[in-house]
Amino acid sequence: MKVLIVPPNSLILFDLVERFGHEPLSVMAVLQEKIESKEIESPPINVTVDDVKKGLKYAAIEVPSGIRGRLAIYGPLVDIAEAAIIMEDAPFMFGCVGCARTNEMMKLLIRKRKIPLLELDYPANEDEAKAMVAQIKTFLEGLVK
Amino acid sequence: MTLDHETRYIVLAPDCTMTPDQLVRTIHTIDADVIVKETCFGAVISGKTEAVRKVLTEVRKMDPTRIYSKVRGFPVGDQRRCRAHHGSRPGFAQLEKEWKDLTMVEKGLQCLERGEKVPPIKKKGKMPVKDLKTVCEEACP
Repeated sequence: MKVLIVPPNSLILFDLVERFGHEPLSVMAVLQEKIESKEIESPPINVTVDDVKKGLKYAAIEVPSGIRGRLAIYGPLVDIAEAAIIMEDAPFMFGCVGCARTNEMMKLLIRKRKIPLLELDYPANEDEAKAMVAQIKTFLEGLVK
Repeated sequence: MTLDHETRYIVLAPDCTMTPDQLVRTIHTIDADVIVKETCFGAVISGKTEAVRKVLTEVRKMDPTRIYSKVRGFPVGDQRRCRAHHGSRPGFAQLEKEWKDLTMVEKGLQCLERGEKVPPIKKKGKMPVKDLKTVCEEACP
């Protein structure tokens, strides 16, 4: 099954989802397509007219362009996701995935789709990590292909 | 996704017994048509999807709980990202943090392998108003 991961570029989640036999939906694969597209001059900073249109599907015109631009990438992933894992309070949620409003909006879009969803906290110690891995395994094994 | 080729990070956990150099040498011995670049945390490999998956499967067999992987958007040595060409690395802070935490994830995977019982953890709640008041009063007496 296609499992969307949040943070969308997380190494830990990507690896665990793949390890337990599902297809992780991440932002890297989408960016690869954009980077290799001839349409964009200096990727991935530029957006195309199509991206703006895609962003409008997920957020209103008043929403800042940064959020709409990000949602143009995240939104289609949410649309095709069959399940999702959200890891809250990841300490690296700044930089290229650092828009808090976009992250909130993405979580809202996921919850509105009513797909199987696992929400957990970023582990702070070994016990929490053990619990996280066990929860992810149980969740992924429970998904019917 | 729809492309027939991919680039992947192969990340060695901090307490992995293998070094990035040994990892790259091992990848070179596998009969797969991929480009390999050694990095401080492991390696970046690029090639046809089947070849990349084959390398990953083979490499993982050596230390399953300490070798991790994820897809990368930019190809190996891309001038916009490669430090040798003064490219920026906006995702490195995230990769570094997760690399450090792989030791904890590894313990989780080993715990599952051994079939051990997972220790119960308390769900993090919101800060009680009473505590918040105390913090505010301490900060602004």
